Amino acid sequence: MVPQIPLRKALIERQLPNGGWSYGQASAQADLEPTCLALVALRWDSSPAQARGLQFLLDAQNPNGSWPAFQGDDQEASGLTPLAVTALASGGIMTPAVERALEWLLDVKGKESHWLWKWKFRTSDTHVSFDPDKYGWPWMPGTCSWVIPTAFAVIALKQAFVCCKPAKVALRIRRGTEMLLNRACPEGGWNAGNGVVYGVAMAAHLDATAAALLALHGEKVDPIIRSSLHWLERSAATCRAPWSLAWSLLALEAYDRPVDGLADRLSDLDPDLIGDTATLAAVIVALDCLVQGNAFKGVA
Amino acid sequence: MTRRNLLAGSMGLAAGAATSLPFLVPKYDRDRRPPRSRVAILGAHEYSARLDGDLMNGLRLFNPDVHGKTVLLKPNLVDFSPGAAINTHPILVAAAAECFRRLGAASVVVAEGPGHQRDTELVLRENGFRTVLDEQRIPFVDLNRDELVKTKLRANYTGLGHLWLPRKLLDAGFAVSMPKVKTHHWSGVTLSMKNMFGVVPGAKYGWPKNILHWRGIESSILDICATVPVHFVIADGIVAMEGNGPLAGTSRALGKIVLSDDPVAADTTCARLMGFSPDMIPHIRETAKFLGNAAPERIDQLALAVTAPKIPLRTVPEFEYLRVG
Repeated sequence: MVPQIPLRKALIERQLPNGGWSYGQASAQADLEPTCLALVALRWDSSPAQARGLQFLLDAQNPNGSWPAFQGDDQEASGLTPLAVTALASGGIMTPAVERALEWLLDVKGKESHWLWKWKFRTSDTHVSFDPDKYGWPWMPGTCSWVIPTAFAVIALKQAFVCCKPAKVALRIRRGTEMLLNRACPEGGWNAGNGVVYGVAMAAHLDATAAALLALHGEKVDPIIRSSLHWLERSAATCRAPWSLAWSLLALEAYDRPVDGLADRLSDLDPDLIGDTATLAAVIVALDCLVQGNAFKGVA
Repeated sequence: MTRRNLLAGSMGLAAGAATSLPFLVPKYDRDRRPPRSRVAILGAHEYSARLDGDLMNGLRLFNPDVHGKTVLLKPNLVDFSPGAAINTHPILVAAAAECFRRLGAASVVVAEGPGHQRDTELVLRENGFRTVLDEQRIPFVDLNRDELVKTKLRANYTGLGHLWLPRKLLDAGFAVSMPKVKTHHWSGVTLSMKNMFGVVPGAKYGWPKNILHWRGIESSILDICATVPVHFVIADGIVAMEGNGPLAGTSRALGKIVLSDDPVAADTTCARLMGFSPDMIPHIRETAKFLGNAAPERIDQLALAVTAPKIPLRTVPEFEYLRVG
């Protein structure tokens, strides 16, 4: 059974003629994130929409294996490239395109991993508290590691290498999980990138916290994961924003926490009131995880 | 003079010109400063329905030509922290929308692309914007996720050459920067020009727009403001932020709204109201060479006079030198 019929129907209606999806309904420019999330949402459909979407995604890949952020971009890599890997893998596609993407992922690092920047962050630029030995993935090559691209990259690598992990893959997953744990907020959860700036503890964000927890799923549960789960449960309980609710549900479900309340709130949503297509797709993915499995659950 | 001396002298001159020329060539395309700029400082001590009338009176001093145009209001909407003066207040934004409608705008939209928080809808809801926008039927555009247009930069401080910018921003007939008056731990202040960081789309550049930090915050402000027209400024200084801004500072009542037809003049005035020396702030000093007016003799002060507070706003230690007195 494929649930969420009205939401799914709305998602398919928003597909662009070229097969991709844009964030906004007024835009004719396909974007990477809504396209990937839509394909994950439609992964069990075997519909023409899914087939056209997968083909669009394959055609959009940059020569270096990454994906651009949107259709027409300058072949610059997006930090959301790992979402494309998850989308293709969830659609049962493990082609050379995925292999090229994984090679690109293994090569790209946050700029703080370079010895010169490590030295700078240890000696003169110390307002942001983090350990530059623990690095992940940037939003754009040539910049620092941030939580969302790192979390999605760790998830993509864990899902692509379930059985055996070559040393380089294992190392990047380890560095990525270390980076996430290093940059958690002191009171639990994750902000965009750092937990403490200028000596002040940052407030956590629901979606970043959910993504980090999904990436850390299967790792040894330590106090940071426990306090972050607690923070997420508490904060999601009063949240009304569908994007954050959807990601919270995915993370809490992965850790076997009760999510009925969140699911009820998402089920009540009118698709016409969800203007952002990435959000619409995330809501479907979240509700589906209760029936058909969690597409973003990382495995150790 | 021998031929050898002449040759050596010529070589020295050539070498000197080659090394100094790049530093002498302006990094902006042309001088676009208006002959004169206008700034109005309005007194306002609370966020209430009274702002509609006060703001309308202030705007009438400028008589802005918005008839038949799409007015885009760009508030500073960053994140949510209960009780903190992080964001432009929604009541002021709603008052501005109402005023521009009454002044004949064809449409008014509110547009923003938060820098760290990816869930824009969450930020809108938690800060009270969603309620106000829905009640007054004001459309909102998420600049992080709009259709993008490759745009050649009109200055070259970052070396980026171009930025992808939101179509709704570029199509707007009248763009209004509505900053929260705040200190900033990396750029000293965040006012109408720094506020324009929010137009750079997260969908392309990430959350945060980290490439701009690596290219230099001051340089990025200059390139963005040289390229994206800001037709008007309404700065929320009713309650400002001091100390470790833009997120973790403390509230400071200034009791002022600053209006201007020139972002450089607006930021110069706001800096003075904060008790800072504007010519010590690099992006204000540099934009005063080509984009707008910072010199008091080229600014017409309407309404209240500029008065610095007895105690300047607190800053992080690195920016203590901004404080006058």
